[in-house]
Amino acid sequence: MNPTQTKTMNQSQKLMVFVLTMSLYGLATLFTELIPKFQVGLVEFSVEYFLFIPLVLAMLFDPLSAALGAATGELVFSEIMLGQFGGLGELEKFITVTIGVYLAGRLVRDPRNTRMVGIAAFLGTGAQLLMGTIVDICKVQFAVEDFEAVAGLPESVFATEGFAFLNDLLFSGIFFCLLPTLYLVPRLYGKIEPLLGMSPRTPETAAPALSGKTLAGCAVAFVCAVVAEMLATSGLELIDWEASWAESGTSFAVGIIVAAVLALAVLVVMKKKAEAK
Amino acid sequence: MMQKLSENILDKFSMDFLRNQVLKNAYGNNDTVIAARDPRVLLVWYLFFGLVPWFVQDTTFLLGCFVLVMITTLLARVAGLVLLLFAVGVFSQTGYLLIATWLFGGDASAVAPLLVLTLKVATISLASVTVFSGLDPDRLANGLMWFGCPEQLSFSISYAYRILPMLMEEFQNVLLSYRLRGNPPAHDTFTGKVKYLAYQVRIIMAAFYPLMLNTAKRSRTTVEALELRGYRYAAQNKTVRRIRLAGLHLSWDDGIFAAVSVLWVAVTVLLAGLV
Repeated sequence: MNPTQTKTMNQSQKLMVFVLTMSLYGLATLFTELIPKFQVGLVEFSVEYFLFIPLVLAMLFDPLSAALGAATGELVFSEIMLGQFGGLGELEKFITVTIGVYLAGRLVRDPRNTRMVGIAAFLGTGAQLLMGTIVDICKVQFAVEDFEAVAGLPESVFATEGFAFLNDLLFSGIFFCLLPTLYLVPRLYGKIEPLLGMSPRTPETAAPALSGKTLAGCAVAFVCAVVAEMLATSGLELIDWEASWAESGTSFAVGIIVAAVLALAVLVVMKKKAEAK
Repeated sequence: MMQKLSENILDKFSMDFLRNQVLKNAYGNNDTVIAARDPRVLLVWYLFFGLVPWFVQDTTFLLGCFVLVMITTLLARVAGLVLLLFAVGVFSQTGYLLIATWLFGGDASAVAPLLVLTLKVATISLASVTVFSGLDPDRLANGLMWFGCPEQLSFSISYAYRILPMLMEEFQNVLLSYRLRGNPPAHDTFTGKVKYLAYQVRIIMAAFYPLMLNTAKRSRTTVEALELRGYRYAAQNKTVRRIRLAGLHLSWDDGIFAAVSVLWVAVTVLLAGLV
C-alpha cells in the first residue's frame, strides 16, 4: 500500500474535503439562487437542490467535513456573496443541511452497494426537507401577530408548506438528488479518493454504523435550531421591548436624539481638527 | 415580439453576465461610502437592523428603518442582479402567502399583518444587502474574525470570492464540451421540448462529474499550499491574528455614520410615539 494513502483521514485531508464540498456546493447553490423558478399553478418546478453534490461527497469521504463544507458553502456563496444573508434564518438552514448530509453519509458503509446509496440519498434529502418545513410553519406562526385570528391563514400555511414539502421531495428529491447520486457514486468511487491521497471507503474502514447517540445528537441540534427561531420571533415578552417604549417612549427618544446630535457635532468637529493637522 | 423578449432575457442570463455581476458585486464598488466604513461598525449596525425589526410591530418605526436601509443600499451601489434577487426573495417569502390567503377565503383583515411582515423581511434583507454586498470580501472576513467567528468562516469567504470566477469558467467549459459532443433531441413539438429540457438537466448533472475530479485536485493543492505556510497553526496563534487585524482602525467617519444611524432611529422612535 502506498504510504500516503492512509485508511483514516488526517486533519488536512478533512480540510480538503471541506474545501472541495464548499466550493462545489457553493457554486451549485449560486446557480439555483440565480435561475428563476417556474411555477405551474401551485406546483413549483425548481432546481431547488443540488444536494446530490454534498451527498455524493459525504458518502465517499468523511461525512462530517462534507456536511459542514456544504452548509458553509451555501452560506458563503449564495447568501453572503449575494447579500441575501437572513440572520437567524440561516442558522436553521445551516443546521438542517448539515444534519441531512451527515446522516446520509453515515448510512452508507459501502459505496458500491447501490441500494443503500439510493436509500441514504432519499432519506437524507427527506430529513432535510422535513426539518425545513417544520421550521417554516413555526416561523410563520410566530412572526404574524394573531395568527389564529386571521381568517384563512392557518390552513393556507399548512397547505402550502405541506404541498411544497411533498413537491420538493418527489420532484427535487428524485430527479435532483436520487438519480444523480446513483449515477455519480459508482463512477467516482475509487477515482476521486486517490486525488486527495486516500484509499476508498470499504465496510471495514467506514465509520461505525449510526448509533442512537448520533441520532440523539442530531435531534438535539435540530431542537436548538427550532428554539433559536422561536426565541428570535417570540422574544417580545422576554425583552419587553414595546412596553418600555409605550410608557416613556417620547422622553426616551428625545434623550437619544439629543445624545446623537451632540455626538454627531463632536465627531464632526474632531474630524475637522484631525484633517487640519 | 414575445420571442424577441425571451431571447433578450436569455441573453442577459448568460454565464458571463452572471460572472460579471458577481464580480462587480464583490470588487466593483470599493469607493462607496459604505465600503469605506470599518467592517466592525457595519456588523454591529447590521446586528441592529437585522434583529430589531423582528421584535417590533409598530408600522411607523418599521417604515423609518426601511427608508434608512434603502438609503444605505443606494449608497452602497449594489449590483442590479442582487436587487432583483432581493425583490424576488421578498415576494417569495410573503407575497405568495398573500395570494394563498385570498385563495383560502381570507379578507382585508389578513392583509395588514402580512404587510407588516413584508416590511420586516424587506428591511432585514436590505440591511444584509448593504453590509454583505457593500463590503469588500477581505474586509468583511477580517471584521468577522475580529468578532471571534471561526477562522474557517473567514477563510471560506476570502477563498470563495477568489475561486468562484475560476469555477464558473471551468463549469462553462465542461458544459460547452458536452454540448459539442452531444446530440440534443429535436425540440419542435411539446414532447420534444420536454425531452430537450430533460436532456439539458442531465448534461448539467453529468458536467459535475469532471468538475468534481478537477476540484478535488485543486482543493488538495490549495490545502497543501496552506499547510506549507502553517495555516492550521496560524489560525490559532494570537500574534498572527493581531497582525492580520492590524489593518482595521476606526475613523471619524465611522463615528459619524453610527451617530447618524442612531439619530435616525431615535427620530423614528419619537415619531412612532407621537403617531
